[in-house]
Amino acid sequence: MHNIIPIFVIIPLAGAFLTSLIGKKVKGVPDMLGNLSTACLLIASLLSISFVSKCGVLVYKVGAWVPPIGITMVMDGFTSFMLVTVNLVAFLVTVYSVNYMEKFTSKWTFYTLFLLMLAGMNGVIVTGDMFNLFVFMEIASVASYALVAFGTEEEELEASFKYLIMSTVGSLFVLLGIVFMYSYTSTLNMADMAAVLTQKGAGNITLFTGVLFLMGFGLKAAIVPFHAWLPDAHPSAPAPISAMLSGVLIKSLGIYTIARIFYNVFGMGAKFTEVLLIFGALSMVVGALLASGQWDFKRLLAYSSISQIGYIILGLAIGTPLAILGALFHLFNHSVFKSLLFLNSGALEYATGTRDMRLMGGLKEKMPVTGRTSFIASMSIAGVPPFNGFFSKLIIIFAAVQAGYIGYAFLAALVSVVTLAYFATVQKNVFFGSPSGALTASDGKVTKKWDDIKEPPVFMKVPVIILAIICIFGGLLIAPRFSQNFLKAATDALMAGKDYAATVFGGLGL
Amino acid sequence: MNNPVTLISVTFMASVICAFLPRKIKPVFALVVSAFVLFGSIEIFRMNPVIWSIYGIPGLLRVDSLSAFVLIFIAFFGVLAILYSAGFMKDRINIGNYYAYILATIAGSIGAVLANNILLFMVFWGFLGITLYLLIGIGGDGAKDAAKKTFIIVGGSDAIMLVGVAILWRATGSFRMDEYALLLNNGSMVIAFVCLLVGAFAKGGVMPLHTWIPDSAKAAPVPVMAFLPASLDKLLGIYFLARIVCGIFVVVPNSGLSLLLLITGSFTIIAGVMMALVQHDMKRLLSYHAVSQVGYMVVGIGTANPIGIAGGLFHMLNNAIYKNALFLSAGAVEKKTGTTQLDKLGGIAHFMPITFLCCLISSLAISGIPPFNGFVSKWMIYQSIIDLGKDGGRLWIIWLATAMFGSALTLASFMKLLHAVFLGQQGAGSDRQVKEVPASMWVPMGILAVLCIVFGVFAFGIPLKYFIIPAVFGDISYAGLWQPGSATIFIIAGLAVGAAIYLLGTIKTARTAEPFIGGEVLPVEERPTGTEFYNTIADIPIFGKIYGMAGEGLFDIYQLCRRFIFSVTRVLQYLHNGVLSTYITWCLIGMLVLFIFMLRCMG
Repeated sequence: MHNIIPIFVIIPLAGAFLTSLIGKKVKGVPDMLGNLSTACLLIASLLSISFVSKCGVLVYKVGAWVPPIGITMVMDGFTSFMLVTVNLVAFLVTVYSVNYMEKFTSKWTFYTLFLLMLAGMNGVIVTGDMFNLFVFMEIASVASYALVAFGTEEEELEASFKYLIMSTVGSLFVLLGIVFMYSYTSTLNMADMAAVLTQKGAGNITLFTGVLFLMGFGLKAAIVPFHAWLPDAHPSAPAPISAMLSGVLIKSLGIYTIARIFYNVFGMGAKFTEVLLIFGALSMVVGALLASGQWDFKRLLAYSSISQIGYIILGLAIGTPLAILGALFHLFNHSVFKSLLFLNSGALEYATGTRDMRLMGGLKEKMPVTGRTSFIASMSIAGVPPFNGFFSKLIIIFAAVQAGYIGYAFLAALVSVVTLAYFATVQKNVFFGSPSGALTASDGKVTKKWDDIKEPPVFMKVPVIILAIICIFGGLLIAPRFSQNFLKAATDALMAGKDYAATVFGGLGL
Repeated sequence: MNNPVTLISVTFMASVICAFLPRKIKPVFALVVSAFVLFGSIEIFRMNPVIWSIYGIPGLLRVDSLSAFVLIFIAFFGVLAILYSAGFMKDRINIGNYYAYILATIAGSIGAVLANNILLFMVFWGFLGITLYLLIGIGGDGAKDAAKKTFIIVGGSDAIMLVGVAILWRATGSFRMDEYALLLNNGSMVIAFVCLLVGAFAKGGVMPLHTWIPDSAKAAPVPVMAFLPASLDKLLGIYFLARIVCGIFVVVPNSGLSLLLLITGSFTIIAGVMMALVQHDMKRLLSYHAVSQVGYMVVGIGTANPIGIAGGLFHMLNNAIYKNALFLSAGAVEKKTGTTQLDKLGGIAHFMPITFLCCLISSLAISGIPPFNGFVSKWMIYQSIIDLGKDGGRLWIIWLATAMFGSALTLASFMKLLHAVFLGQQGAGSDRQVKEVPASMWVPMGILAVLCIVFGVFAFGIPLKYFIIPAVFGDISYAGLWQPGSATIFIIAGLAVGAAIYLLGTIKTARTAEPFIGGEVLPVEERPTGTEFYNTIADIPIFGKIYGMAGEGLFDIYQLCRRFIFSVTRVLQYLHNGVLSTYITWCLIGMLVLFIFMLRCMG
């Protein structure tokens, strides 16, 4: 059963290799290979949930080397939860790309890079080894630099350059942190490291490396004040990539790693709680405020990602089982509705040729599918019942109040109001009213009428519809029957804290 | 249909089905469904109070006397709204899923009223925000700003409510509203109370969260205004207020929070009616009265004594009836003349007698003229205020004076409205011969007008006995004596005598004369309109200043928050200058701060 674990890295790597090998010559192969790989991954990740529910923890020894010498790949509830989230979005995004990426010339490069990025993300999630994690993180990051610059316009190259530099600085500090941990514990295996830290005492070294990791992974997660690359990079990428970046990349490279390391390796201390609370609150507020001042649809979405990441961090910081459940649920929900919104932004750009919301208007009639799905996603992200975002925000607010952080609960509620406000503005400017209402640009110039606007082709519609359905019924995931093996299992994995070490070594026998 | 789960889910499903029906069938289908809902609600009303446990969740839904009577009226107004819309919305294009939204609103309201689990309540409550948003948005280009504002205020207040609910949950460990009876004796309970109050106020349109109502009045379709802000949202908002004050929390008369309610209520009465006085648009004028009247309910419930709560609830019911009738008649005027600008209208009472009569009756009712229903409920509220004084309160005279003064101003502004629209000389907007509206539009108005009379004349016999008194816990004693039946006979007798004297006195001497202005023909635009006299109010220096500030949005909490947020945003935008080195500096400074923080922790 544990043989399923390496599949999550092997499939996308093999897919990337094959696509670059034959995709250039045979038309249609990149689409097929890309979609096939992500579909397999989605199925595998769904299977992994049932495996984990049966066996608890699965451990795979790479090359049959026994840890702590060899590299392990570990699969517990949190891993399978993240895998489902990532691969679900990845699959829908590849379906969407079939039509959307037509306008770019080299589809095979796109799919190769995409699959590489996916391999990196899955690798980060499944690996049980610190240095391995760094390598996978770099694979995903490097692929994403290239994907941000995919359009090779001036703006995209600039964004990609900024992203590259800043992200590299982040990676550097992560590497430095790993080095320090290695020198202190003499091991790179995460479970072993946790065991050694318990044995030797955490000491000040965890505080020091904690800061390095917070900065490094925080930069990948775009926590304020390490967020500045995101509003440039995410809008510049092609829409499906923006969906991947905002939807899952920042979460697997940033949130997942922070949660895993701080909960399962270091053990969450009061100081980290305090720091993460402040970071979470700061991200929430700053992201939401910046988003409300935006007219560029994709930039607005990018800022809103920062704000929503703040909610997740806040939930993780509070650290009660309820808060973690809320945070993880919000993570899942955010990847669903944010990727949906980015895909919608792609459809809008595809149809109107612009991202400036002032130039749009009344598109509800012209683009009913895009209009409705984006309405649902906006309601979800704004936390309006009965959509999924409402429930995750509710849990986070409840958890904050339960833990005695009434101030933070209020802040979360107020930011939710601001979120609602700017998404209501989006709806108003883009979809409501009549098309003629939006003819004049801000400078008074009359732009072309959106008369010939049509709904995008079918492969761009199906994924958004699926995502919208998940938004509507996503609230059911907290019902005991569904949450048991999914959210609850993931929460338990994090709440186990430093028992992680014992479970992983226990899982070796299987 | 007496199972609430069936009732709610059937209505929801009907709303989904309605979205896919052909255009012609939609109103008929919606009408049939809403009639079924009314039927089902009556069935539920006739049951004894009961708490349902569904899907293994104990105490999920509940019917008690309070929710049962609100439920009936939700269904009742739903039927009227759909019936009226069938006539009113007929010629409109782009109404989209109007009827589906209305049905969804009915379903959501039923759910909100029957929910006993406060989380379930929040879900339905928030869902109503969406339908309200979509319904106002149907008004087209002009309505999209108002729809957005409405949604931000109403939806935003739900987020604040969540914090309150969370505090309740933390204090009691329960989500069941019937298990709460919390004393407001510590800080966190007061916070929770205020949080929940924000939700009730935003929905009901109490100042300062009222600004979405006048804004949406102008552009939203009239049936939407009549159905939602004027009746349904009032029912729900005040229903929830009553639940907060005498179910979830225990508010004691003359306590600090009672005072808070009295202050907001009185302020809402006066400020709302003052704004209404100077309006030039019929719908906008009515919408400010929709704000002003809700002040009475808040005052009534805020007194926290049984008669006050009964008065508040009765006023809620009465207000929903006559405000609905007023908006519907505004819709009738708009439909036939194409405008609701008071300056352009005039003298259409001849052509639209039914509309005029309905509007007259409901105007008198809203102004608190006996024997109409508005009088009885206001009278009960006045009594409850006087009772406050008996219990040792000192400020009761202020609340009483504002409430009565507000009532007088209401009458004044309705004199203006009646004169400007129906009486006087014909205006430019109504110089062609207008006709009465079709039956599907006047029947709902007529029903509501009749209800205004019935609920006034037989106040103790019907509405109070069946709907209001059972919903209030505690004994109600009336200080004064009001016998609506005999009073009505006296009033009618008085009117008859007056009419007789008038007719006898004028038969011989009556003479009609054209106004003589030097032989000129009086041009239509120079005729005396109904609004001019009232413009003098705005000329009083201090009022002029206040109105000016109100016009700039200085009293609009939405605008204030908006300005504040954008000023902060501009600073943040300035900081994001796009220079890579700046960004990297932030990262390093952030890390430095973290190091310093950790160093201090190490000690």
